[in-house]
Amino acid sequence: MEGFVTAIEGTAINEWVLGSAWVWPIMEILHFIGLSLLLGSLLIIDLRMAGLFRRINIVATHKLLPWVFVGFGINLVTGTLFVFGDPARYSANIGFRWKMVLVLIAGLNALWFWWKINPVMKSWEPHADTPALAKTIAWISLGTWFSVLLLGRLIPYIGTG
Amino acid sequence: MFESLENSAVALWVGESLYGYPFMLSLHAVGLAIVVGIFVMRDLRLLGLFAGISYESIDSLKKLAWIGFSINAISGCFLFTSQATTFIQSTPFLLKISMIFLAAICAAIIQNRMRDDAAAWDSSGTGAVGSVKAVAAVSLALWVGAIISGRLVAYL
Repeated sequence: MEGFVTAIEGTAINEWVLGSAWVWPIMEILHFIGLSLLLGSLLIIDLRMAGLFRRINIVATHKLLPWVFVGFGINLVTGTLFVFGDPARYSANIGFRWKMVLVLIAGLNALWFWWKINPVMKSWEPHADTPALAKTIAWISLGTWFSVLLLGRLIPYIGTG
Repeated sequence: MFESLENSAVALWVGESLYGYPFMLSLHAVGLAIVVGIFVMRDLRLLGLFAGISYESIDSLKKLAWIGFSINAISGCFLFTSQATTFIQSTPFLLKISMIFLAAICAAIIQNRMRDDAAAWDSSGTGAVGSVKAVAAVSLALWVGAIISGRLVAYL
């Protein structure tokens, strides 16, 4: 981890993030907007895929997917900049490490959705109940993303282990 | 008044116990994701995005959004007690609370109109009327504004 820290400290991006008092709060604001877009669109997609809110047309929920990617993209960029701004703090933080593990699990779960659910979803009854596999993937998605949210918020309070 | 609040047993639990503040802050993050997430998606739908998801079905998410709102009203009150005298004099904090208050009024207006007219917008295919779109645009701006000012409470 020390190698990681020394590799980042002193880079142009590291200096840019630390260069102005405004960069950090602006990144935080964007990170919060990104999380609202990501979790807002995922809540609707996943709760419907879990079989709830059946008045929502499940086939049409795929129109929300671009907003999942917009939210994730904003947070990937701003999140990477946080790490570049303060590599020592993040690399040593247990909360941050678990957060990244959960983002990875959420990503694998999204691939599972892409492989097993997305191709067949178009032929589903718009307002019917959903198969068990879809429900499983939906609850894993909600569970992991809300855990990511909690771990992220708790980074300042979780130590280095 | 705010000083005595800040010295109350509840405020001391939030501010000085090991888990009080992070616990309330965690609830506040979950509530934020739910209430802002759902209301922003509803506003974007009213502004014409994601055609195919009916207005009626989007309206069915309002209970969940208000659950998120309530989580944050409650956790927000707890967080407020711990630094009451600071928050009550903080411009970004007062701005944040005003914007949330106005956004809640927007939500009430929108769901009233949706209860009466959502089915008609769905069946006619014309979409939400201009006045409702305007309220949705204001609501969207208010939620973004609440996030911006909320974050700035920690900096200004």
